[in-house]
Amino acid sequence: MEAMLKKFQQKYNKVKDNMSQWEDLQTRFVSHFRNASSIIHRFPVLQDSNNFGCLKSYHALPDKLLRKQMDSLQTIIMSMKLTLDEFSNVVGSLDKIVRDSRQLIKGASHQQLHQTIGVKPSLTYCIEGLQTLHDMHQSEYRLKSSLFTAFCHLTFKPNSDDLGALQQLLVDQPNIYKEEVDSIYNIVFPEDH
Amino acid sequence: METPEKLSFQRLSVASPSTPQSSSSTRLWRPAAQRNLRNQWSKLAACRQRWASASSNGRSQATSLINAYLSQIYMPAMKLGVLSDFPDIKEKALRKFFKQQELQRRKLLITYKDLVTIVLDMIDISRSMRCYSKGATGSPLAQFSNCSDSTADAGDGGGIPVFRNWNIPQFELLADELIQMFKMELDIKRRLVVELLSISSENSPVANAVTWSSELYPGESEDLSRCILDSTVTNQIPKSNLQCSINKTTKVDGEAVSKAMEVYLTVWLSEVNLDTDRLDEIFNLTGLEIQVNLK
Repeated sequence: MEAMLKKFQQKYNKVKDNMSQWEDLQTRFVSHFRNASSIIHRFPVLQDSNNFGCLKSYHALPDKLLRKQMDSLQTIIMSMKLTLDEFSNVVGSLDKIVRDSRQLIKGASHQQLHQTIGVKPSLTYCIEGLQTLHDMHQSEYRLKSSLFTAFCHLTFKPNSDDLGALQQLLVDQPNIYKEEVDSIYNIVFPEDH
Repeated sequence: METPEKLSFQRLSVASPSTPQSSSSTRLWRPAAQRNLRNQWSKLAACRQRWASASSNGRSQATSLINAYLSQIYMPAMKLGVLSDFPDIKEKALRKFFKQQELQRRKLLITYKDLVTIVLDMIDISRSMRCYSKGATGSPLAQFSNCSDSTADAGDGGGIPVFRNWNIPQFELLADELIQMFKMELDIKRRLVVELLSISSENSPVANAVTWSSELYPGESEDLSRCILDSTVTNQIPKSNLQCSINKTTKVDGEAVSKAMEVYLTVWLSEVNLDTDRLDEIFNLTGLEIQVNLK
């Protein structure tokens, strides 16, 4: 039992690594999103050549500038797509951890699965916790995918309210409950408290 | 500002007197030419870095300058709440913003001068790619330099490949191509600088507003005649910016001004004339040819 719990704790540490990788991806994704939004916001201003003052008739500058901004936007969107794939990899890796853990307890008796010693959690709890962490991130990944698709559509007919709403959802990560994550970790690592 | 040093190389000659294209003089010329090219291209790559950092400084200076300027425009209409009880608070704030604008003008000017210097350095470098034999033919000491002694020697080793495939003119061609981009970009930057230096609010006109034809710093015309003004770009420089400049309209329209400023900053940031992919390609290809990483 004791040994088995140790093994689960190792799994949870792995999940923690995955989650911190997720955080890095999140930071990157949000910053891409912000940059892309500000380019999109700028488009109407750049499309009106009256805003160019003295540079209006300079070597087709308005056109060149618009094209260059389009290119940057495209590059950012490509990076967002890549980041999204990395999110998906994290979910895949969480999924593998859950599957491996289920493998670990194969053949354990009902009693072993539900037994708790002192403050230590039962094996069932450990498995369910891992599953919950995986599910949160999977839902969040799906949300991000849809947000990304919605965002790509918006680039052609921008509406600043919609962009703002998307950004808010993106930052909030409504499927990941920080408190729940913390409480799972508190129960699995009772000795840390 | 550094000028490319006059390089000279010495090799002990083991060959008997020969014509410049003979195999023995080629054997001596090639290592000298290789060293020179590696040196010059590394400097070009460094210039690109210097440009990037100067341009980014300029961008933040331009941003601060614009913010200080816009604050002056908006200040009179601003509701300051309890602060309005302070005597002369708006006047004081205006003076402060004006001072900030002046400070950023000076900084931006220095940055602009840096950009000019970088382009001038690039031009000097591109003109130092050849490697000329020095001294008397047949002397046991073969020397090379990158300034020409005689008209007979083109400094290109008779057009042979210096490393594997490219001869000197090919290296020069690529250098010219990339320098052309920077020249064009410098031209745009100058326009932006002129615009940014000449914006002023109605209340506090900038002391010495500049126009297209003004020298932005002492000696600028001379510098420009070496880079921008020798290209076709010059033909389009308007005589004066009076008729199109946004700040010269009868009434300052805050929204129009801030839109124009947004455009200016985007123009500064975007560097439309620097084709990043092509620049990377030029440095990558050249780096492969001369076996130096030019990143």
